[in-house]
Formats: sequence, C-alpha cells, structure tokens
Amino acid sequence: MNYIELASKIEERKAIVPGHRTCPGCPIAIILRTAYAATDKKIITSSATSCAEVTTTIYPYTSWNEPWIHSVFANAAATISGVETAYRALKKKGKIKEEIKFMAFAGDGGAFDIGLQSLSGALERGHDFVFVCYDNEGYQNCLSIDSLIMTETGLKKITEIKKGEKVWAFDQNKHLPVLKECTGVFNNGRKRVYEIETIHQNIKATSNHPFLTLKRNGRGKENELIWKTVSQLKVNDEIVTMRKLYDKGKAYEFNKIKLTKKGDYKVNIINDVKLPEKSTKELMLWLGLYVGDGWIREERGEIGFALPENTEERKILLKIHKKIFGQENKSKDKYYIYYNSVNISKFINSLGFMQGAKNKTIPSWVFTLPIDQKEEFVKGLLMSDGYIYKKKKDSCRYLSASKELIKRLRLLLQTMDYRVGKITIQKKPKGTFVVYREMLNDGEYYSICFSKKDKWDVKKYPNQYKYQNYFIENEYFETRKIKNIIPRGIEQTLDLRVDGEHNFIADGIVVHNTGAQRSSATPYGASTTTTPGEKKEFQKDLARIAIAHKIPYVATANPGNLLDMHEKFRKAFEKKGPAVIIVYAACPTNMKAPEDLTIDISKLATETNFWPLYEVEDGKYKVNYKPANKKPIEEFLKMQTKFKEVLKDKNEIKKIQQEIDDDFKELLKMEEAFPLK
Amino acid sequence: MKTKKTALNGGEAISYAIKQVDVDVFAMYPITPQTPIIESYANHHNNGEVTTELILVESEHSALSTVIGSAASGARSVTATASQGLMYMYEVLSVASGLRLPIVMPVANRAISAPINIHCDHSDAMACLDQGWMMAFCESAQEAYDMTIFAFKLAEKVSLPIMVCIDGFYTSHNLENLETYEDKVVKKFVGDYKGPYNLLDTKKPISIGALSLPNTFFEIKVELFKAFDDVEKDFLEVSKDFEKTFGKKINFFEEYKVKDAEVVIVVMSSTAQSTKNVIDKLRKERKKVGLLRPILFRPFVYSKYLNTLKKAKEIIVLDRAEGPGSSSPLYKEIKLSVCDNDKKINVTSYVFGLGGRDLFEKDIEELLNGFIKGKPNKEKYLGLKK
Repeated sequence: MNYIELASKIEERKAIVPGHRTCPGCPIAIILRTAYAATDKKIITSSATSCAEVTTTIYPYTSWNEPWIHSVFANAAATISGVETAYRALKKKGKIKEEIKFMAFAGDGGAFDIGLQSLSGALERGHDFVFVCYDNEGYQNCLSIDSLIMTETGLKKITEIKKGEKVWAFDQNKHLPVLKECTGVFNNGRKRVYEIETIHQNIKATSNHPFLTLKRNGRGKENELIWKTVSQLKVNDEIVTMRKLYDKGKAYEFNKIKLTKKGDYKVNIINDVKLPEKSTKELMLWLGLYVGDGWIREERGEIGFALPENTEERKILLKIHKKIFGQENKSKDKYYIYYNSVNISKFINSLGFMQGAKNKTIPSWVFTLPIDQKEEFVKGLLMSDGYIYKKKKDSCRYLSASKELIKRLRLLLQTMDYRVGKITIQKKPKGTFVVYREMLNDGEYYSICFSKKDKWDVKKYPNQYKYQNYFIENEYFETRKIKNIIPRGIEQTLDLRVDGEHNFIADGIVVHNTGAQRSSATPYGASTTTTPGEKKEFQKDLARIAIAHKIPYVATANPGNLLDMHEKFRKAFEKKGPAVIIVYAACPTNMKAPEDLTIDISKLATETNFWPLYEVEDGKYKVNYKPANKKPIEEFLKMQTKFKEVLKDKNEIKKIQQEIDDDFKELLKMEEAFPLK
Repeated sequence: MKTKKTALNGGEAISYAIKQVDVDVFAMYPITPQTPIIESYANHHNNGEVTTELILVESEHSALSTVIGSAASGARSVTATASQGLMYMYEVLSVASGLRLPIVMPVANRAISAPINIHCDHSDAMACLDQGWMMAFCESAQEAYDMTIFAFKLAEKVSLPIMVCIDGFYTSHNLENLETYEDKVVKKFVGDYKGPYNLLDTKKPISIGALSLPNTFFEIKVELFKAFDDVEKDFLEVSKDFEKTFGKKINFFEEYKVKDAEVVIVVMSSTAQSTKNVIDKLRKERKKVGLLRPILFRPFVYSKYLNTLKKAKEIIVLDRAEGPGSSSPLYKEIKLSVCDNDKKINVTSYVFGLGGRDLFEKDIEELLNGFIKGKPNKEKYLGLKK
C-alpha cells in the first residue's frame, strides 16, 4: 500500500462525505476516512458526543454515508456493544447474513474521562468492535494584537487589557452595550490572520474567530443573529458593529502631576499658570488643535502651534489658551505661536497624546468623555489638519502622519455616531510643501473621511428601513456589510474571555470570546481555559489501560503517518474481539497553533517520542517507529502556544523530557520482553 | 387457550413473560430488588429456553445505552433496574424516548438515597416521570406478567419506551400462584419486532442521534409529546386484542366499588390489595367507599378519571413518593383530573410507606373511617412514629 493507493481507496469508499463542519486543520475527517478505507465490509459507527459528532451531523444533514448512531457523551462503547449484540442475535436467527464491522469513535473526553467506564466494560465483555479514540488533548479562537478594545476606561490595545477589567460587550437579549468583566487574557501564539473590512471598520482575526452576524430569513420573517467564524463569513454578510456608546456625561479628572516650583534646581523664574483639574470643552478644543498643529519641548518648557497670522484658528487658540491656562501669547512670529511654561508642557505630556507627528495618538480617556467634549476635540482636529467639504454638508476629512492616531480617531468617531470611511494612504515625496516648510524625507499620510449619520425616518418608511437595517431603532449598534476578507499572513494573536455575554467589542465590531477546557488527556504544562496557567498532571496512558484488559489488539496511531495508521485499522477490523486505537489528533484550535501545521505538528509528536507509535497484538509488543535522531520535546512544545508558560521554565521542560524518555524506555523494554514477530 | 397455574414471584413472573416473548437482547446489571428478574432470566438462558443474547454490562448507564444500540438495530431489547440504577440511567432515559425506541424496562420500585435504603417506595420512578417514557404500575405478579406481555405490543405500536413498575420486595419477591399462557400464544400476540428503523440495514444507511439546533429541535420534541396524545387510542386497541387473546382486560386504571362510592381512595401498586380488603370490610358495614388504582401513569389519561371520580365527595390520594416543596405526584394528577368538575370534590393527599415502611389494613381502615365520620386525619405522612 502506498499513499496513492490509499487515497484512491478512501475516495472509493466515500464513507464521510464533504459538507461537514470541522475546523480548518482538524484531522478528524482524515482519521475517519482512513479507518473506513481499512476494510471492505460496511462499518456501523457509534459516536460519543464530541467534535466529530457535532460537526458531521446537524439535523437534517449528515456526512455519514454508512449507518451511524450517537447517544450521549459517556456511552459510545456501550451503544456499539448493543448494536453488535443485536447483530449477533439477529445473525443467529438468520435474520441478517451480511458481514458487518463495528466501530466506536470518541474524543479523549469520551474515552479517557466520562467514557472510560463504558469502554472498560465493553472491552472486558469482548464485543467484536474497534474503539477509536481521537486524542485532541482537551475539551475544545483569537484576534491580532493590533486590535483595539472598548473598555470602561476607554479604548485600549488588546495587549493592555488585564484580567478583572471591565470591557464593553453586546447584550444579546436587549441589543444594548453592557459592561462585563474580562476573566482571562490568552496569548494564542502566532497564527494566520484575516482582515475583515466593512465600510467603516477593519479587524484582523484568525479563521476560527466568531463574529456576530445577521441572518435574514426573508420578507415577513424574523431575522436572527448568529455567530459565524471568519472561515464561514462571506463578503456581503452583515456583521454587528458599534454605533455609539452610552454618553456617561462625565468629564475626565486628570491625575495630579508634580509641578516645577520656583527654587527647584536651576529654576529662577516660573510663569504663573493655572492647570485644569478636569477636562472641559475649551481644553478639548485646545487639545484638538494641539494634536494637529502643536508641539511641546518639555525641557525648554516650550509649547508651540503652527498657526499663521490672520487665521480664524489662531484667534480661537489665543482666546481659549488664555481662558484655560491664564497665559497671554508674547511671541510675535508670523507663522507660529509660542508659549513658555514648564508646567503646561509637563501637564500636556502627562495626558498621553505623545510627541512627534508620526507618533501622535488619542489616549484611552478621551473615549470616556461626554459627547460634547469629544465633539470639541474633533472640532479642534478639523481646525488644524482637517477639511470640511462645503458642498456636502457635514462631510469632513482628516489627515495625519500618524496611523495610530487615524485608527483611533476612526473608532472615536464610531462611538459618536459618525459614519467613517476607510483609511487611505497618501504618499508625499521629499520636497513637498507642508506647513510652510519643505519636507526633508518622503512621507506617508493617512486620512479618513467622516460625516454625521442621518437619523432614519422610521415613521415615514418603517418597513423599508427595517429591511435595510435590523437595528433600525437601536442607537448603539447597527449591522454593516463585509466589503472584503483579506489574508494578512501570520501574526501574534491574543484573546479575551468575557464573563456573561462571552463577547466584546474589538475595533468597533462585536466578537466572540475564547474557549477549550482541560481533560485528563491534556498534557502536562498545557494552558487551557480551565487551567489558565498550566496543567500540573501528566496525561493518563489510555493505551496501557486498554492493554490491561488483555484484548487482542491495541495500537497508537498518528495522521502524520497515514500508512501506518491505515495498516493498524486494517488489523483492528480483522481481529475477532475488541481492538483499541488511540490516534493523535492535533487540534489547532486547542493547541493555539496555525491550522495548516496539523500534519507537521503530528509528525513532530512522534519524532520527539511524545506520541510513540506502537502496537500490542495478543500481548506482544512492536514499536513501529524509533526515531533515528530523536528531537527534543521543546521543538514540539514550541509549535503550540498552549505550552508558553511551561517553556519559560527549563526545569519544567526537563521534567517533561524525563517523563517522555522514561516512557519510551519502558516501551522498548516491553518490546524486548514480549516481542511481536 | 390453555393456561397453567405457576407459583412465581413478581420478578420471576416478569422474567417468564420476557422468556415467552424471547427477546433478542437483554442487558443486565444487578440491583436489589430487581435482581430476581435478571437472575431467573439468566437461568432461562442457561437452560437454553431462550435465544436471547445477554449483555452483562458494567453499569446501569451502559445497560440502557446498550439496549438503545440494540433496539435501534432491529432487535427487541430489554433491561431491568431499580432505585439508584434508574437514577444512574437518568441521562440516557430521554435518549431512548427521543430516539423513539420501544424498549421495555421492568422497574422494581425502591427508595433512593440518601439515606440508603433497599426497600419499596415509588421515589425512583416518580423522579423519571417526564422523560418521555410510558409507565405502568402493577399490583401483583399476575398483573406484572400480563403487563409485560402487553408492554411489548404497546411500546412497538407507539414507538415509545415503557417502564413496567412493580413494588420492590412486596411484589418482586413474594410468591404468587399465577396464571400463565402458552408460549406460542404469547409469541403470536407480540409478533415480530417492529422498531421504528434499523441501523443494521446497510443498504439504507441512516444517522441516528444527530445534533439538532434551535431551528429543528422544538419540532422534533413536539412530535414526541404528540405521540403521547395518541397512546390512549392505541392502548385501547392493544387492550382489546389482549382481551381477545387472553380473556383479560387491561385498563388505564382499576375501579373497585367506585361507582356509588362517596369516599374514594386512590393508591397504586401492591398497596391496593390490602386496601381492597378494607373496602370489602367497610362495604359490609354499608359504608360507601371505593378504590381507584391507576395503572398507566404515563400518559395519564385525565379525561377517563373525571368520569369515574365525579360522583365522589371525598378523594383520598395515597402516594408512595413525595414532592418536597411541591405536592406528591399522584395527588397532583388526581387533583388535575377533577379540577374541571362543576361540583368541587375534596382531594386530600397522604404519603405513606417511604423506604418500605408498612401500611397495615387497620391504618387504611382508620383513615377511611375518619373521612366517613367527617374527621379526616390531619397528618399527611401516614405511619410516622410518634
């Protein structure tokens, strides 16, 4: 048998047909199809409740072309015992003549944990069946680390979110924003991400990350909201996005900073200024102008604005500066305004707008401001680097060298019920005149266009608008059509776990939180949602438990070695009596690993002896693969982010390596003592 | 038709009926007081009297699970249990009914833990009321024998599983001289197994137990609920057939001197036997008392009850199980049956015999006399130690 023959055999059998819903990179279908190709007889399969069961049958559909039964989580082996016994009973009575094979198919939960008793009973009773455990090491998504999350204290990078913090989520009953506690932050490793683009939003997420989408059920029928993963999303699907947040109407109270006083080191004179304790409309306007046209040199105590004479903006700034800080402009420059105050510069720097045209940003707290203060801030921005189209009422454009600033401004505007277009990039070559100066280097500028949203005239066109927008009368959320789904390569990813609603608002879009729990087959050191740090117990050895039942055939297999796996299935179905095959099933979702690396990781599991391939036929051992150059376990662990905690600790790695080496040595000894010839 | 008198206890009587039916698969796991059923069946098997395949499982969860597998595979299948065993099966009960498998399961009613107790009450069966199983409560070994035969035919006709309940020890272990029928007549009455589908038919492969999401789940469940509405009609049909074959009538409930009774006592299973003695005694004293003994508890055929009970002034319901924080299960059903009557009928609830506490004839007599004299017993729990 070679790969081509095997492939054609699988193709001929067509036991598991396409249309099932396993995750990308999931080996379940590979394992099943290989099993079915291993015998010419029909196979009746009983599934435990598991990924395989859930993904292959959603009533009224099924991927099973041969008889299949599922009852509950714990009883795959017992159910198949009943089927096999019925077969024997009916065969004895001559009611059935056909030769049929039986298989129970369970995940590690349905075999190692809740299913162990039923498995043990069936093995002991000696039913003629093959029990296949696909071990995915646990009960079983993520966002790019660029994602910006709406929290109680404003917009934050996903990397800044801490456990216990409150994030804004979507209340799935009331369709309103609700604050929920973040109960965990999960580093999900480097994964392939896709960028979802709507007219107003962009977000990068992995292919298995769920988004809340609107399912239209046709005219006259209720629409519904359903979760769809990125791989299920299509262009023109409508996803739920944020329109605005509650206006809490509370000004932001600034942290106290240590001011410079007269008499401090080298300080002889100090300009007397007053500093605001809370945010105000004037200050926000000032800050808007500052972000666009201002700079600070804290060491010199200089605050500057590029606002030429005889402009409306200059007049406004002079006026509000005096009102806020109580300071007059003394410079007489034609193009620039200068103020001198160490304390104002210290104060402004403490607000977090950053320095330099390319680095400027909008700090989190701005997102928590009352709407009128936000409006003033946007007005300030527009007065500096903005442009208001006169013809189209309320249509504005804002340009900046800072991408971060534009990204955040876009989300800020989205909390204020603005409609915002996508970010466009403008390249300006060296020598272009900008702010009365020639540019010294090539520059990149980012811009967005935005305008206030019109109110729906619900009374006039109730049904028409309802059809267009599911959230017609909802002030806070709306749905947006996906314009584009673009692969963006492999990036570092993170995910949050959120109490209650299990979703949060990232980059203005409602997204689902993470999942994957520990089972007794979860390896030592792995982090799961029920063992967020690392698991402290070694997995149990189901193969040895099966061997202890003295059944005719026990084997381990790995989709990384299909021919070996196929041969083992063939033997198992041929043997009279029970057989157990435990298959390594790399689960990219649970491993927090890229889905196109399933087979690579599977191979590495055997190359490192983490998953040795062996078989025990009537008590005689054979190790099917002895790696000539055994690889260190670290190489295997590194592929999966779930081991990131354990990888930090050399002693822990040593402990795992020791366990693996000891197990393998023992296996070799067993082979030596009871060799299979 | 020839009949034969045989001395059997309740467990053996059920086992004898299953033997005559000669089921295809019997999954067994011992638990007191059900054990006489499986032990005697194992003997039948050992003596070569049956062609049944036995599965000696490692737990009740697996017992019902294997039987689900075999019943789905075109094999007439049985398992028996009691008490904790039934509780352990609980998860799979709704699978058997959800997959519409006509499994027959004798249950020897026993108290449930804690505290642990091996004796009779109805708490085990009553905990499983609404899992989509039909339930029949039998008074004697004779009725258990008849009902078991009846149950196969009914279950397969309506595609629903059924529990045949007998009182643990009182019925399961007490020897009775009962009338049994000829094997071939029983076999003919039950006929070939009629499952709703057959997993072993590889020419028509089917997937059973698929995942059903909110868009389909409700309808599938409602189909099951509606199947219960149809049981009444099919029950009467099977009953007619049964009467024709064996000369005995099986009804939804038994009426004993109820017609003109002013005080009616309602009680199920073996306790009805001693109650009948009391009724006879009081009738001799010209007291208008009667007994109503529900047999088919699920579905509970409310309409029939009202007709029978509407002339009563006082109804006394004796439950062998309690609904803590609510009311006892049989009481609820009787109350519901008569609540639409124009004339208000008093229904009083009593609980007796938990964990095998005996209820003597004198206790029942005292209780009935209290009602006749207009001084009903105020204590809900009968036979409590002072």
